[in-house]
Amino acid sequence: MGNPFIKNFKIFTVYLLIWVFISLVHNAVIVFLLDVKLEQAFTESIVYNTLYFLLGISLWYTVSYNTLENYTPVKIFINHSAAAIITSAIWVLAGYYILINIFNDDKIYKSYLFNSGIWRFMIGIFFYAICVAVDYVIIYYHNFQQKLFRESELNALVKEAELKSLKYQINPHFIFNSLNSISSLTLSNPDKAREMTIKLSSFLRSTLSKNEKQKSKLSEEIANAKLYLDIEKVRFADKFEFVEELDPACKELEIPSMILQPLLENAIKHGVYESLDKVAINLKCKPEKEYLKIIVENNFDPEAVPRKGEGIGIKNIQNRMKLIYNQDNLVTVEKLNSLFRVNIYIPR
Amino acid sequence: MENKIKALVIDDEKLARDIVKTYLTKHPSVELAGECTNGFDAIKMINELSPDLIFLDIQMPKLTGFEMLEILENPPVIIFTTAFDQYAIKAFEVNATDYLLKPFSEERFAEAILRATKQIENKNDNTKQIDGLLKHIENRDEYLERVVVKIGQKISIIPVNDIKYIEAQDDYVMIYSDNGNFLKQKTMKYFEQNLDPAAFLRIHRSYIVNINNIKQIELFEKESYFALMNDGKKLPVSKSGYQELKLIFDK
Repeated sequence: MGNPFIKNFKIFTVYLLIWVFISLVHNAVIVFLLDVKLEQAFTESIVYNTLYFLLGISLWYTVSYNTLENYTPVKIFINHSAAAIITSAIWVLAGYYILINIFNDDKIYKSYLFNSGIWRFMIGIFFYAICVAVDYVIIYYHNFQQKLFRESELNALVKEAELKSLKYQINPHFIFNSLNSISSLTLSNPDKAREMTIKLSSFLRSTLSKNEKQKSKLSEEIANAKLYLDIEKVRFADKFEFVEELDPACKELEIPSMILQPLLENAIKHGVYESLDKVAINLKCKPEKEYLKIIVENNFDPEAVPRKGEGIGIKNIQNRMKLIYNQDNLVTVEKLNSLFRVNIYIPR
Repeated sequence: MENKIKALVIDDEKLARDIVKTYLTKHPSVELAGECTNGFDAIKMINELSPDLIFLDIQMPKLTGFEMLEILENPPVIIFTTAFDQYAIKAFEVNATDYLLKPFSEERFAEAILRATKQIENKNDNTKQIDGLLKHIENRDEYLERVVVKIGQKISIIPVNDIKYIEAQDDYVMIYSDNGNFLKQKTMKYFEQNLDPAAFLRIHRSYIVNINNIKQIELFEKESYFALMNDGKKLPVSKSGYQELKLIFDK
């Protein structure tokens, strides 16, 4: 976030007006209470307040580096105390030398200026505290708004993913072809037809129920994805083989729901649908540093000419992962000769 | 009827073929001549067996049902079997002999057989029907991703990204691609409308080029330009083509 006192015209104007007001008060106080000559009072208030007006803007930088994300509260307090003393000292001395040079001949004013130094210093500390407090309020308000914005964006995306998953996973092509398989099986193998009906129902049910939840256990997601694969297996018999390698330590970890199944669907669509030969689909889940790494890979016919829709599913997952974890590069895609691999890193 | 109807079942899913085969056993007038699982095999089989009737799925590996139709010279009567394809269904309604939406009932199947039988008996020429169907399919609001061509017995699939440029040649177009040149019976207008305008531009009455393949535009003589392609070939550019190229290259 850039300095709002420079970048934001509204904040800048308000800030300027506040300093004009402070200057007037300053002027009034020293004229009426301390009997300073009007001309001197006017110059003094302009010099000192202009100086702090500038200092105040630059204080933003000390604040934006001293956030709770970077330092402990104690450290921040120490940093600011030191900064307050230094800033105030610079302010008082700078003003003092400017005014001394302007009113060099007036001894009374000079001694007044000298004696009031300690008071000015205190006021400097006070200004510092106010400026810093305002800066923090701005920063946290800004962050808060951003968080709200991100959350609403995430919600919209999840909603969209839900709708899409309803449309995709309950992809009409998949559904009607599965129903056709069942219809065919009722003639040749009623037991298998019943089994497939049950699998299809479980898959639809779990897909429908998962929508509200954002995350679920890896083992649950794998179970759901396997239901899907089982159904495709009935349709495509020996056209693909699924192998999973699941590190037991990962089972209970949570992953965003509706990420694994679309990936496997992708593998089926671009691997199995387009290939005449057998396709191997591998799923590997293992811990890697502070991540849970999920790999989905499938071989594909490199000669098959790509059709529409390639990459959209993965793009969707990339977007969702970015919004959920606020981190880039959590989903990477590798295409090697005839192997297509998607790596997903889920922060733990 | 003396002669049995020779039928072919084309579908990549075994269970889907099975049900057609099972239903067919109740129709002694139709004889199952064969079955196949993809468009390539299907074309070979159709040429070998010249069936009277085919049951054709649309989504298949290698060649889709529609791409198959594009390169079949004497297409038999077709009953489409498909699960879901909104564009296709619309096209069928207008043009196909019949279409069966999976899963379909035995009664519905019998109806389709009846219709097809009539058409075969009347020896209706269905080329027109298929042309109409393909025209309808062309009107999808998606751009082409691949072009299927057949030269002799060889079928090639050209990804549109591999196309360098297309040249008009009477009733045909010549497609120049990374993998050779292919003649196809389509109009320039068809390609102009169905190729992604972000990548392809008609620079001249006789030329559509892949913009990524243009090396530079050169002045030939006053107000006359040609496009130098990456492979060194020079193609004429019309006035309006030049204006559009300028717009693209100035971006």
